[in-house]
Amino acid sequence: MAVSPLVSPSASAIAHRKNDATGASVTAQKNEASPQFVQHAADREITEQMNDEVRHKYIKTKKLGEGTYAVVFLGHLRTDPSSFVAIKKIKVNTEYRDGLSMDAIREVKYLQELSHPNVIALHDVFSSKDQNLNLILEYLPRGDLEMLIKDSNIHYGVPDIKAWMGMLVRGVWFCHENFVLHRDIKPNNLLIASDGEVKLADFGLARSFADPYLNMTHQVITRWYRPPELLYGARQYSGVVDIWSTGMVFAELLLRVPFVAGNSDLDQVTKICEAFGTPTEENWPGVSKLPNYVPADRNHLMPTQGREFFLRQFPTAGPVGADLLMSMCTLDPRKRSTAYQALQHNWWTTEPRPTNKEDLPRKSGGTKKMGDDLTRRGGELDDDQFKNAARQLDFTAMRE
Amino acid sequence: MIEDDFYRTSSQFRLWSFAEDSLHSLRQNTNRLASDRVRGALRRAREARQSANSSAVGTPNPNGNDADSKLGEEKDIECLTAEEEQDLVRYFCEQIVQLGESYKPPLPTIVRATAIQYLRRFYITNSPMTYHPKTIMPCVLFIATKTENSYMSLRQFADGVPGDTTADDIITPEFLVMQSLRFTFDVRHPFRGLEGGIMELNAISRGLGLPTPHLPNQTPDDLRRFISSLPPSQNTPTSSSVSDRLARAYHNTREILKSAAQMTDAYFLYTPSQIWISALLLSDRPLAEFYLDTKLGGSAQLPESHPFTHLRTKLLTTLNNCSTLLDSYKPLASDADAKKAMRRIGKKLYHCQNPEKANLAGQKRVPTATAATAATASASDPATPESEMERLAKKRKLEGGQAEKHDIFGGELVMERTKERQI
Repeated sequence: MAVSPLVSPSASAIAHRKNDATGASVTAQKNEASPQFVQHAADREITEQMNDEVRHKYIKTKKLGEGTYAVVFLGHLRTDPSSFVAIKKIKVNTEYRDGLSMDAIREVKYLQELSHPNVIALHDVFSSKDQNLNLILEYLPRGDLEMLIKDSNIHYGVPDIKAWMGMLVRGVWFCHENFVLHRDIKPNNLLIASDGEVKLADFGLARSFADPYLNMTHQVITRWYRPPELLYGARQYSGVVDIWSTGMVFAELLLRVPFVAGNSDLDQVTKICEAFGTPTEENWPGVSKLPNYVPADRNHLMPTQGREFFLRQFPTAGPVGADLLMSMCTLDPRKRSTAYQALQHNWWTTEPRPTNKEDLPRKSGGTKKMGDDLTRRGGELDDDQFKNAARQLDFTAMRE
Repeated sequence: MIEDDFYRTSSQFRLWSFAEDSLHSLRQNTNRLASDRVRGALRRAREARQSANSSAVGTPNPNGNDADSKLGEEKDIECLTAEEEQDLVRYFCEQIVQLGESYKPPLPTIVRATAIQYLRRFYITNSPMTYHPKTIMPCVLFIATKTENSYMSLRQFADGVPGDTTADDIITPEFLVMQSLRFTFDVRHPFRGLEGGIMELNAISRGLGLPTPHLPNQTPDDLRRFISSLPPSQNTPTSSSVSDRLARAYHNTREILKSAAQMTDAYFLYTPSQIWISALLLSDRPLAEFYLDTKLGGSAQLPESHPFTHLRTKLLTTLNNCSTLLDSYKPLASDADAKKAMRRIGKKLYHCQNPEKANLAGQKRVPTATAATAATASASDPATPESEMERLAKKRKLEGGQAEKHDIFGGELVMERTKERQI
């Protein structure tokens, strides 16, 4: 399977990469054929036996983190103590009486289907005897991009950013190619493997592309990374919502602070207008018909920003890099780059070359950070201020 | 062929696609294990009853009436065959369609189709003798509302389920079901493929067809001429315009995908694209063959030695097999004999239902301490069936055989009531 649309597809490439990427970690268990059904374990149902077989493969060692939603443990293969895994145990939610929560269902549903070097691997799922759900995830000991962005002791440059962004966009492309919207791309959902590979994690808000004319919720993506069409309440949207978020991560990697950090949804719209220009019928036909569109004050119309602005704002990116960023943060979603188009941009082949993933800057303490990242629910920021951001998902309205 | 590569990574391909004979042997195996288990459980139940009989009053009697159970003691119980199990499961798949229809607004086709595939997957490794489909059916439909973005609250969902099914009854088997689904929730349906194919054909009919990369000689005009000069299908009046013909083909194909494709083993044996093209072959064969020609070249266009000629032959064999399977489906409602047979299977199941699995409470995912202990005890301590039996016997006694009154065949109830609602 192709890792990117731009390299020749090779069947062995993915398996090979997976081994590389996870280092000491386990290779994919997913591709095994159906296990043999043990016939004679007298008192267990077939499915219980299969579950027991999976559970028996792993040993839990220590707790890495605990949140309201999940507990994450370090574990390893029973047969090989050096093959580490992260075991994410989803907690029973006492408030929620409707069975397994939507976050857990989404995460399991999509990770079972997506197998790519830049998407966190789900090796196995099993239930423990107290009927808790346990996800065996790829062990990613080097923290996340947010940690590197925030640490002023870490120095990185354009070649490093190019390497990280390349991995991110390939992961996003793969999700979209499989008709999956991630809907929560941000630096602390981008985890780092022992060999430096960036992995897209936390599929708690993901969903498949809707059929044409069917509505989706607009209450997704953490605010600072949320595109203008969602802020305006669009109910029909495409993969480019994830591209906006990806562009915001790109900008943040360059600036080392979030680029447009509104403290309310309204403030977010204002800041986007200030940064990129005011959306109007001229630069974005149809925008005024979106449900939560607020007509701009005629006296404070900001012109759409061109290439010069991006180059001035992000000098380190260089003209070609600024052009890519601009294509990812285009206000009109119809004109915004798709993941496929972004991968075809000539920034990737322009000097300087991206850093080899093994040589990317690293920081210790990543295991703890992975524990924290994996216990969070989708859409949550660590920051208290944003505790309730994007959590009120409007499921009922989607049935229309 | 990168699309095939994508499909091969799907859980539907990895875990839920089978060769016909291996699917058959999996089901035989499940049936054999469950039958053994039922016989053992009924023997234990008999023993428990005998020891209880010595203490006389209020004999718990899971078999309903005394004469019956006495008879049962003499001869060994007759279990369902794997084929009967399959018929039963198919009946409950049809019930899912009905139940989904009864909501206002009706649950989307995709939700119902996913629920049906969950139920079919569940019963590859579980037997209706162990878990009655009437208890599993509402649960798979509720799970499908969650996995297919049509979530409503459990309470709201339960209100739509006829009979005295409670929210608790619906959610209790959830974990059991998910475990049997091996925690894979994604189902790849043939519906989108059909939409795309019809869009392509519509574009061709308007002279906007694009040549397939392998066949650069195709021009939009040639394609348009071909599609408007196709021989009529059995179902198409000769006079109809191409767009009418496409609309009719689309409608009929979609009906097959909603019914026959769901109720047969099609999803286990074929890929989504094979299924929709096979269904299109059934509703308009010349059109479906023309569609294949646009991709692979017609038999006239290519020499025999061309790799596509071989591929085409191979593909047509597969598609025809799938068409035959789809064509074999007869809805239960239109088949009096099958209905009668279903009644017989229902009665038979009533006698060979595993009594030790009658109460799913142990399977429930409840956070309270007592329930957790109970669950742990029943799950990790299979060595004490006697005490479990006593508990169940007591429970039955308390219920005073209520369940049995309207329980000759629980599923019937759903169908009848649903029908009333539809009128």
